[in-house]
Amino acid sequence: MVKFMRQFQYQVFLIPILFFYTLFTIYPLIKSFLLSLTNFNGYTKVYNFVGFKNYTKIFFDDAIVSGLSYTLFYAIATTVIITLLAIPLALILDQNFLSKNVYRAIFFFPSIPSGLLLAYIWGFILAPISSGVLNKVLKTLFHLGPQPWLSDPLLAKLSTVVVSVWAGTGWHAVLYLAFLQSIPKDYFEAASIDGASKWQQIRHITLPLLAPAMTVSVMLLLTGGLKVFEIPFALTKGGPGFETYTITQVIVLRGISETNYGLASAMSIIFFLIVLVLTYFQVMWMQKREDKIQ
Amino acid sequence: MKKVSKLTMVGLVSLSVIATGCSSGTSSDANSNGGNAAKGSEKGVKLSLLSWNNEKEMKPVMDGFMAQNPNVSFDFQTAPPVKDYIAKLQTMLLSDSATDLFIIAAENRNEVIDGGYALDLTNQPFVQTMLDGNKPMLSKNGKVYAFTQTGWVGGLFYNKALFKKAGIEQEPQTWNEFIEACKKLKAAGIIPFYDNMQDVTMMHDGLFANLTLSGDPNFDEKIFKGEKTFEQGWTEPLKAFKTGLLDNKILTADMIGLTGDQIVNEFALGNVAMFTGGPWSINTIQQANPNLAYSMMAIPGPKPGGNYYAGAPGVGFAVNSKTKRKDEALKFIEYLASPEGLKKFEEGTGAIITAKGYESKVHPSIEKAYKEGLLQGKFYLPMVSWSRNQEALRNQLTISTQDMVVGKITPEDAAKSLDKKMKEMDKK
Repeated sequence: MVKFMRQFQYQVFLIPILFFYTLFTIYPLIKSFLLSLTNFNGYTKVYNFVGFKNYTKIFFDDAIVSGLSYTLFYAIATTVIITLLAIPLALILDQNFLSKNVYRAIFFFPSIPSGLLLAYIWGFILAPISSGVLNKVLKTLFHLGPQPWLSDPLLAKLSTVVVSVWAGTGWHAVLYLAFLQSIPKDYFEAASIDGASKWQQIRHITLPLLAPAMTVSVMLLLTGGLKVFEIPFALTKGGPGFETYTITQVIVLRGISETNYGLASAMSIIFFLIVLVLTYFQVMWMQKREDKIQ
Repeated sequence: MKKVSKLTMVGLVSLSVIATGCSSGTSSDANSNGGNAAKGSEKGVKLSLLSWNNEKEMKPVMDGFMAQNPNVSFDFQTAPPVKDYIAKLQTMLLSDSATDLFIIAAENRNEVIDGGYALDLTNQPFVQTMLDGNKPMLSKNGKVYAFTQTGWVGGLFYNKALFKKAGIEQEPQTWNEFIEACKKLKAAGIIPFYDNMQDVTMMHDGLFANLTLSGDPNFDEKIFKGEKTFEQGWTEPLKAFKTGLLDNKILTADMIGLTGDQIVNEFALGNVAMFTGGPWSINTIQQANPNLAYSMMAIPGPKPGGNYYAGAPGVGFAVNSKTKRKDEALKFIEYLASPEGLKKFEEGTGAIITAKGYESKVHPSIEKAYKEGLLQGKFYLPMVSWSRNQEALRNQLTISTQDMVVGKITPEDAAKSLDKKMKEMDKK
């Protein structure tokens, strides 16, 4: 009994969180799966079992096909661009210079307001008419006519990515910064004494030791990108057509707007599996990379 | 073991992603004073009310009612229209925690009535106050399930000074005159017209009413009975929209990115000569440019003499069929229908009152639209006229319009897409 108690003394503390996690996450997920096998309309509690009919419908749904391709594009583009920008930014912010804390705060600031609010503000900047701020600047500097930032299919996709990169880079730079500051200074001093240049120090000390931070940051970016809703919705409402519809927006559209909860639940289950698989392989691959580097 | 823990970690993260991701679209409780249907206090009764007007707008009418009924107080809840409100009411209805009184909109009337959530109000005396034209939206099989005392009318707001500058002497009376006016404005270096293409546009409403409904007032009914198709009724209006407005580059693809607020602001600042709007646009225009001379006209149609406005009855107040405070809830609606209640509601919300025996004071710019459009029944809104799948069809028409504007599909394809959507929804 004592041995048993010793073995499980720490696990006991997990019970409350496990209880709430089961109640608010596992149970809704199971319920979602069960609803995905029905024709539940969200209003009447009487519904029929339809088997996997909703799952087969998904593959013929224009919105989900378009939503999936845009969401993957958005998730991958924001992950790559933010990572490429956040690491150099963190390296700069890690230097000792006057008012470095002010700069850290400035870059971190866009992460504070909600995505929805940021996107509404950017809506005025990117307004596709001549009174839009960006179009005014382009007209003044280059005599260019108004550009359809939010209504041309390609420009709308790029605009949503740019706004998200602007909003997310600072936060991820701070995450890298936290890891950078945990690297012992002795390594750099020893490397300097051995004659290593700044670039060699970055390449052989900083970047390898940042690998765990990269695993976490990329995982957060990828999952955040896949579940995105606010920024594209507030900027383009998913348009033109289905061009910037995200998976989450399609789930809301089919579920709430069209009272087709069975189909929306099936979509969320498929979405869950996509996130699970992508995240699993990303973490596996990056942890293997960490082991190799270290 | 390491693999198992990795899998667990990834699984947990994915689960939380789904949990948070799928919660993104839910509404928040604005100004909520409590949760479930209120329980009667010792001193009196607490009526719970869910509205999409906010507390400030509803205060005059609630205060007026409480002054006459000192034993009643309110547990007021609100959610902004339309999606957030519908989602909140839906959650409440499903969890048996809906308020004693709630509102029904065109977008959720079928689901609420079919689900048996609203009390049958047909024989209540206050129903007599409702305009006959307002009843169908809130009725099913001849029974009235909610009370509305309001209506709205929308159309083309135009800037009188810009019209004069372009040499346009009077309001265009026909579709051709309207297109010519747009061309004149363009030639004078003025942006002729902005339409909100992030929703079903009012131009569509007017064109459909003029080209299809004027010839067959029961066309929508026939579509939903399977006797007609959307393709038969909507192809011509969509073609007119394309050839008149898109082919002449009066409306362009970049305008899809414009929000309703941006359009109103541009009009108020005198940057565009016309836009489609309703009474809700007036406050913004007045605040931004009190000296602007403007007015609203009907949407000119290709068939002479059949110009329509966009418009609909206002949302209706329904009584929860499971309420324990039925008498007080009905009394509140009775108060809403009384001359005092109508005045207080108008005062708080600024809505156009269309109840029998009450003349609403409207802004001069929409006076003609109010008298010729709303009171004469010369208005149309598809979501009210369509008897089922309104939201799905509305979304489809919006998406197809955008696809048509960017040149991805033809008007014929756009009309056919509505039939396809309807079939898909009926099969679900």
